[in-house]
Amino acid sequence: MLRLLSFTVFLATWWGAALLAGGEKLPAPPAVLAAIVTEANSGALFLNLGVTLARVALSFTLAMTLGAAIGYLMGRVRFANRLGDPWLILLLNLPALVVIVLAYIWAGLTEVAAIAAIAINKLPVTAVTVREGTRALDASLDEMTTVFAIPRWKAFRHVVLPQLAPYIAAAARSGLSLVWKIVLVAELLGRPNGVGFEIGVAFQLFDIPRLLAYSMTFAAVVLAIETVLVQPLEARLSRWRPRAA
Amino acid sequence: MQLEVEIARKTFTSAAGERHNVLADFNFTLGAGEVGVFVGPSGCGKSTLLKIVAGLDHDYEGRVARPADARIGMVFQEPRLLPWRSVEDNVRLAAPQADEATLSALFAVLGLSVHRNHFPGELSLGLARRVALARAYAIEPDFLILDEPLASLDHALAVRLREQIASLVDARSVMTLLATHDVDDAVRLADRLFLLSPRPARILAVVPIRTPRGARSEAEIDAIKSDLAQLNRGTS
Repeated sequence: MLRLLSFTVFLATWWGAALLAGGEKLPAPPAVLAAIVTEANSGALFLNLGVTLARVALSFTLAMTLGAAIGYLMGRVRFANRLGDPWLILLLNLPALVVIVLAYIWAGLTEVAAIAAIAINKLPVTAVTVREGTRALDASLDEMTTVFAIPRWKAFRHVVLPQLAPYIAAAARSGLSLVWKIVLVAELLGRPNGVGFEIGVAFQLFDIPRLLAYSMTFAAVVLAIETVLVQPLEARLSRWRPRAA
Repeated sequence: MQLEVEIARKTFTSAAGERHNVLADFNFTLGAGEVGVFVGPSGCGKSTLLKIVAGLDHDYEGRVARPADARIGMVFQEPRLLPWRSVEDNVRLAAPQADEATLSALFAVLGLSVHRNHFPGELSLGLARRVALARAYAIEPDFLILDEPLASLDHALAVRLREQIASLVDARSVMTLLATHDVDDAVRLADRLFLLSPRPARILAVVPIRTPRGARSEAEIDAIKSDLAQLNRGTS
């Protein structure tokens, strides 16, 4: 109910601003809706959204898996930490644009380059968060699993992973928003399709209804994925806590 | 099936860089099915000793020979349960081979039947200790290690848990090592009692108690306790 109210306020503000600024700079909601319908009818909207989502899914999975593995290793093994730390600091502070441009130069304007560039942008954030989580692991529970001779894999899955879960969830949450932002830049710079590419084209043609049409649908998809997928998952993971953090 | 421990020295370096002797010339053996109880003042090194015997601490001079392939069940001073798993799942994780009948019986003895599906965060310390005890027993251990299982419980609860431990130990003969600072608990549970000195811990006296646990009269227990008190005075 509150969400609906908040959405209505947003729509009203938009409409009011459109009336004040004039349709040239900020088209009113019906004009954008018309653009969405046109794009949807031609099928381009779904194609571009699908392509972008696929890129997000791939690079997100890649970055989460690799980043978590690297972070865990660096948290557990001192040598790995000393070896990896300068790289992590470098990658953390390297602007996304630099990584994307270099990836396109070195690997060509290819899908692999795009996905790798997005993944590399997100990977250090995951690694740092999971490293913190690994350092915070409870040594007394490790002793418990050792005494009871619980097999390594089982101990990892049932004792270590649940302790890392909040950190992985935090990494996923911040990482997903990062990927949403970077994927469009990567598409704008070097892909012939996707939401980022369409926004780039709309920008060059000064086609603001189309630009907003893609932005809005993209935002809607992000919002839907957050509410349908991410939030219920978080709730499930923390159900044993007396109060959700 | 025998435990042999010969610890020449165990030192520990504090965060401030000072070295402390925790254990010195600490030798003892424990036979199959025997309940050995270490009784000594708090902080004398009992937990350290138990950790070494359990194979968790390898940083000492000496030798520990555990029975080969012995399954070890341990109750730590803190319950060390997984907060994200229910009581039953905590026990099952350590003891995947335990069947339903064994678990039910164990939960019934320890008064945990109604708490099977609770999470550790919902339990009192006394209950959590009992879950830790259930976990240690569910694996049907060859060697049981109990570190202050009755500490920080109120008297009535401690008495009850002590009786539960006694009945579990008698139901299935297991080599058991228990550490406590409470002489009364020690005398009531031990087959053989090791009286420890303050840090660095040495064995001041070994007191065998031949009367079976259930048959010890209050008079006998008091007699052993006063003997122990005298031993303590005599040596320190």
